[in-house]
Amino acid sequence: MQARTKKTFRDLWRQRTQVIAVGITIALGVMLYITAAGAFQNLTASYDATYDRLGFADLIATGGDPEQVAQAALDAGAAEAIARTQVDPPMLLEDTKLLGRVVGLPSDGRAPVDDVDVVEGDYLDPSAPDSILLESHAAGTFDLGPGDSLEIYTATGWHAVTVAGVADSAEYLWPARSRQDVLSDPHSFAVVFADEATVQEWFATGPTQTLALLGEGADEETVTAAMKDAGASAVTTQDQQPSQATLNEDLQGFDQMSVAFPALFLIAAGVAAWVLLTRRIIQERPVIGTMMAAGARRGRILRHYLAQGALIGLVGSVVGAILGAPLNSLATSAYTGVLGVPDTVVRNYPWMIAVGIAFGVLVGALGALGPAVVASRTAPAQAMRPIADASPPGAWSRLVARMTGVPVGLRMALRDLARSTRRTFATMLGTVLALVLVLASVGMMSSILEAIRIQFDEVELADATVTVQDASGAAGAIEAMEGVAAFEDVVAGEATILANEESYETALTGYEPGTAMHGFRGVDGETLSVPADGILVGHALQDLLSVDVGDAVTVSTAAGDSQTTIAGFVDEPMGTSAYASLDTASAMLPPTGVTSHSLLFTEDADRDAMRQAITDVDGVVAYQDSRAILSIVQQYLGLFYVFIGAMILLGAVLALAVMYVTMAVNVVERTGELATLRAAGVPLRRVAGAIATENMLATLLGVPIGLLLGVWAAQAFMDTFNDDLFSLTVRWSWWALPAAALGVLLAALASQWPASRQIARVDIARVVRERAS
Amino acid sequence: MTAETTTDRGVRVAGLTKVFGEGDSAVHALKGIDLEISSGEMIVVLGPSGSGKTTLCNIIGGIETSTDGKVEVAGVDISDVAPARLSDFRRDHVGFIFQFFNLIPTLTARENVEVIIEMTGRGDKTQVPKVLEAVGLGDRMDSFPSQLSGGQQQRVAVARALATDPDILFADEPTGALDLPTGQQILGLLQDLHRQGRTIIAVTHNASVAQIADRVITLVDGRIDSIQVNDSPADAADVTW
Repeated sequence: MQARTKKTFRDLWRQRTQVIAVGITIALGVMLYITAAGAFQNLTASYDATYDRLGFADLIATGGDPEQVAQAALDAGAAEAIARTQVDPPMLLEDTKLLGRVVGLPSDGRAPVDDVDVVEGDYLDPSAPDSILLESHAAGTFDLGPGDSLEIYTATGWHAVTVAGVADSAEYLWPARSRQDVLSDPHSFAVVFADEATVQEWFATGPTQTLALLGEGADEETVTAAMKDAGASAVTTQDQQPSQATLNEDLQGFDQMSVAFPALFLIAAGVAAWVLLTRRIIQERPVIGTMMAAGARRGRILRHYLAQGALIGLVGSVVGAILGAPLNSLATSAYTGVLGVPDTVVRNYPWMIAVGIAFGVLVGALGALGPAVVASRTAPAQAMRPIADASPPGAWSRLVARMTGVPVGLRMALRDLARSTRRTFATMLGTVLALVLVLASVGMMSSILEAIRIQFDEVELADATVTVQDASGAAGAIEAMEGVAAFEDVVAGEATILANEESYETALTGYEPGTAMHGFRGVDGETLSVPADGILVGHALQDLLSVDVGDAVTVSTAAGDSQTTIAGFVDEPMGTSAYASLDTASAMLPPTGVTSHSLLFTEDADRDAMRQAITDVDGVVAYQDSRAILSIVQQYLGLFYVFIGAMILLGAVLALAVMYVTMAVNVVERTGELATLRAAGVPLRRVAGAIATENMLATLLGVPIGLLLGVWAAQAFMDTFNDDLFSLTVRWSWWALPAAALGVLLAALASQWPASRQIARVDIARVVRERAS
Repeated sequence: MTAETTTDRGVRVAGLTKVFGEGDSAVHALKGIDLEISSGEMIVVLGPSGSGKTTLCNIIGGIETSTDGKVEVAGVDISDVAPARLSDFRRDHVGFIFQFFNLIPTLTARENVEVIIEMTGRGDKTQVPKVLEAVGLGDRMDSFPSQLSGGQQQRVAVARALATDPDILFADEPTGALDLPTGQQILGLLQDLHRQGRTIIAVTHNASVAQIADRVITLVDGRIDSIQVNDSPADAADVTW
């Protein structure tokens, strides 16, 4: 081994605790990158595998004659195109009445587009038209399997069917009725697949949808245009499909995290490496001068110190890669397991590990670059001088010196802030980065909780929605029921809003004027009311359809097209729905043979008892507890807190690592004066206190900047999730910012402990002897 | 190297001037020095603090550049050579010994010498043990600086300076950090190197050290005050202070 290589290893070993701190920070950054980026790649590959296997439709069209639209798609180059029937009828599964979905599939073969994967039981049998496939999420929720039966409310009334098998579907990896209903009570939705001809017979209807698979060479825009020309009123892409759109939100989250969080750690590590190596180079200046005096070239010196940073980066990133690879597999498996994704691709990507390691090495080298350049520019004459004295006092030091009323210890701490701006900057940066990490995480949690609160306290005010058969008398019985505080008629259905050659599929709901069942929040927080004419729509449509208040739009439903105007925009945390008066919506939506009603319960009502009592009423065909999602949120809150806890822990590690390095360097740089103080009889407590005061002051200086950047980062992070599915604004609880600041200050305080131990270990006699020489 | 070369391995200095700073704060460290040092001479540059002796040696050694004048060392004119190119000159022609040794604490004696060979690309690492034996450290080659006495550390520094086989060896206050017996040993070592034909230029404020020189150049206020030729240099062991 070459002598300079030995020097590198031994130098790093001498500063091993600081080197380890930098290495850990790099390791965490690389680990987070490989975990998040790997999970992103694996989840994308998992979805793609399922989508490819089951022929997940690239385009879904509604309106027109689906058979003609399908033929137009094929003529325009689509690899496959089919027409199928999809209806949302009431269903009875076990004791639960809900509004489900029936989808037609061929029973004499497999669908070339949007096929299903039978995971239990058998596929549809043409000889058994009353056998169905139950989508796996519903099967799990209601604990139903092959041989069990359920009822579907058809055109002729309740019809019993038998579960032939349980199936996974690419369309329902995330079970959602629509983009407006991606977070709902799992007991309020179920998907059933049945023979296509049977479905048409049950509901006395023809095909309602066209599905197209583009295949290679087909142009999405060309096929879309052809389908519209053939009569389709709306064509949605795979990315707009409710399940895919929802899953994509999470994918984006992994993608964002694979960049943002590692970046925080790697920046921190780079700065810590910079502080560490700068200190070394100051210490080694006479040695470097000696080498330069001996004729060593600048490039050689530069490479020598760059290599030290790169080596720290290499070791840290290799450790990060070793930890990140299994965590990537764990995160992917856990995620796909929870979601029930049929094809789980768990793979570690060599290129990703290489990139992670390269980043780690690069960060170490970049951290070392500044100090290495300084080293390479060391004048050989430095070899003849002992380590340079401190630079003359600047304006700040002179100002502090005049503060004679302030204790000398505090004056020393105040002066030292400006004495080594590099050290102060590093401490402040550690504080800022830790706060950004913590606040981005806490902000995400608090904004999601706040969105849920707004959704259910200010927007969705109804406790339940019940669907009853027309003229059954059920409505009157429910309205008179004890525990029902308010009862209103509502109408709801699927609609496509078209304007400026753009379209958006959504849910249209009609409410009574002055409804107590729904709050309409305007974009500026004002309260809107149900318009007598026109429709209210989610503000995302303002951009998606390029429309404004007063603009004319077309509302297309199964009943046909209607012209109306935009009466206003609402700002709701979840979904982008359309609202109208009961009369307006009723005129737009097709008759269904059932009527819907929203209910408010009295405060003392037992929700489970109400569900049971209402669904027992004859004529009730579906019941949806609007608040059930809240109990699910409560269940998942624990996971939220684990995530936030992990982020706070990582933030603390980041803060500790950077501050430990800067504080250790602080002690090393001032060994002489600290030893002198100790030699003069100043107790260790006082000496350590002076150093701690300086460090805590630097930390305090970083706190306001960290809070500002943290709040900004949290909003920027949440903005990446904002689209027509979610409208999230970061709202902070009163305690969030003070708690984050306090946490980082405590982490900084904790990092004083090793620094004070370092002071205690200073060999006073040796230091004083060296100074004397 | 763009400088003119001659065949003489000694030092020629003519009209050497060095000014630090500008305007009112300008400090004239050297004020027109003329000097010639022959190859194989042992020179001691003597003078009080601030007289310019270290600056003179730094310029001759290629560590600093002159403000004016001509400097030719070991046949190389370094008067107008850019600082960045001077490293090649130093690598090929000069070696330095410093008052505070400047050893790398994490490397052994042998490694401290080897690292210079590696960093400069000049010298032969297989010869390092011989060099260390020559300075009396044959049995302490694998000791770290902290395990060596001050004199032994300075011997390592001498070996390090010799590693690139320089034409001229500069010693800046070589005994400044040493006690008398150790200082005598180091001076003895320098004297031995001189007797082997090496040109040695030592800078000191210690007049006693001057006794071992062939010539003693005394600087005062940036000018040569006197040049004293020593016909019979003292043996290092007899020098006291």
